[in-house]
Amino acid sequence: MIKYRSADALARLAVYLGLVVMTIVALFPVLWMIFDSLKSNAEFYANIWSYPRNPMWQNYALAWQRGQIGERLLNSVIVTTGTLAIALPAASMAAYAVTRLQFRGRRLLFYFFMLGMMIPNGVTAIPILSVIIDLGLVNTRLSLILVLAAQALAFDIFIMHAFFISLPSELEEAALIDGCTPLTAFWRVILPLASPGLATIAILTGLDTWNEFLLTSILVRSADLETLPLGLVNFVGRATQAYPQMFAYLAMITVPVMILYLIAQKRFISGLTAGAVKG
Amino acid sequence: MERFRRGNIRLRQPHSALSRRFRKTAMTKTHAPERHESTDDSLLSRLRIPHRVQVAGFAFVMIAPALLLFVLLTIYPVGRGLWISFHRWDGVSDPTWVGGANYKFVVNDEVFWNALKNTVLFAIVVTVVKNLLGLLFALLLNSKIRGQTFFRTAGFMPVTFSFVVIGVLWSWIYNPTFGLLNAVLESLGLSAWIHGWLSDPRLALWSVMCVDIWKWTGLHIVIFLAGLQGINKEYQEAATVDGASRWQGLTRVTLPLLSHVTAVSVFLSILGAFVSSYDVVYVMTEGGPFHSTEVVMTWIVTTAFRFSKVGKANAMSMILFVVAGVLGFLQYRIMSVRED
Repeated sequence: MIKYRSADALARLAVYLGLVVMTIVALFPVLWMIFDSLKSNAEFYANIWSYPRNPMWQNYALAWQRGQIGERLLNSVIVTTGTLAIALPAASMAAYAVTRLQFRGRRLLFYFFMLGMMIPNGVTAIPILSVIIDLGLVNTRLSLILVLAAQALAFDIFIMHAFFISLPSELEEAALIDGCTPLTAFWRVILPLASPGLATIAILTGLDTWNEFLLTSILVRSADLETLPLGLVNFVGRATQAYPQMFAYLAMITVPVMILYLIAQKRFISGLTAGAVKG
Repeated sequence: MERFRRGNIRLRQPHSALSRRFRKTAMTKTHAPERHESTDDSLLSRLRIPHRVQVAGFAFVMIAPALLLFVLLTIYPVGRGLWISFHRWDGVSDPTWVGGANYKFVVNDEVFWNALKNTVLFAIVVTVVKNLLGLLFALLLNSKIRGQTFFRTAGFMPVTFSFVVIGVLWSWIYNPTFGLLNAVLESLGLSAWIHGWLSDPRLALWSVMCVDIWKWTGLHIVIFLAGLQGINKEYQEAATVDGASRWQGLTRVTLPLLSHVTAVSVFLSILGAFVSSYDVVYVMTEGGPFHSTEVVMTWIVTTAFRFSKVGKANAMSMILFVVAGVLGFLQYRIMSVRED
């Protein structure tokens, strides 16, 4: 009996140890990034991994200026909001029609949209550039918004489809009996019930767009339209001496996402697993 | 008798047998419509447009925005890319038809094949490690311990960071003089292990792979955890009652029940590696040193922008598209299989 218990306790200790190691490996680089962003140049080279002696908060102000972060932040916000504003309505409306309305070719259309999920975003990046050029939209934020929204559609429709399909089929009927038009039935009845799905795709698409680099680097050609990730890459190229400031830049990109993540982490995680596990 | 199919809504008229209950409700409400043909008093029904067409029309309106965007910016570019791949084009002047010349060029391009080899190697190594680690930590997290949420939150956090940020951060960790990794090795007395992690052509790709693993393992931990939590505990208890050891319980009961989740997780990482390798490679090494970290995507972008060989870049994109498409199709089939 005693032997059983101590073996069990040892196993639990091992489990905790493993998880602590995982946590350290996952978080230490981030902690290091923040610490080093607050050091002076000299301290940075002298002592890499200690706590900064006199936190130099002005590194952040300097990085903000040199990296034109205000501009980049604005661009990122515009692109992300624009993408969400297009992708969310388009995806939920299309998913609704393809899931809960009855018409010819419904199934076919659904598979058609799912084609988008089989093409990883970015493989078609160069051809997309040609299309954007044809449309005369080269080097605009609008082109980014449209392209990123289009790429988000397949997955968003897939998720919304999963949520819509779980709602009972009598809902529209009841709504129509009560005098709703089909559109109002969608807007007032079905959509609010599927709002967890909306929250999920909002978070996933938002995060994806905020961090997006490949297509942004291809579609954006002038410096004043750069989003934060693109701005960072160019900043790194220029700021060869001021490494703490570079780390400050990194921290400024990362911290908003981190805070958002900590607040909504359940949503983040459930959204990603919904697509993977529930299928 | 109207047939109800789960999830399929038929907008029906209130005359059929099944809606008698609803009709009664409708009659008793003061604002119920008086006409019995349709509960929808709109213009459309007054114009006597058949119901089927009404529904189809509504559906069309709902789908149109997504469809337009999708066709224009996801489907059409494939065709456009194919067309361009048969031309020689620098992106500015008029394209010239060259037939299959680009493809012949690509097939003979050593850098391309090297990049493809790197991409495949990257995808495989990264997938295996991420999934093994993910499963391991998910199993740890799933046992009776406290602070599950804390550990899960911590482990998943790297997933939320931009690959650009991670690339820059890890470039610094790998820095031979000031980087964290070499400093740690030195302080542990393992100076012999110090290397130029990103400057040594033999090591560079592996160093980059570690970064991808660091970022994405959290996702697989979470996926496997969700899968584990979805398993009915009775199966595992039955195994224990039958005298199975812990290891047997794991391999004979738990793992087979996870097969769907595992398949999804594996394909997710394989497919993702094809494109996400661009971000991390570009930021950390730009394909160097000496193309040792070149992946297909970086080579495509370099060909298109630095060499202005847009036709050739499109040819490579088409090849990548076919390879990725096949994998993606398999992934979709696997993800769509309902658990039985």
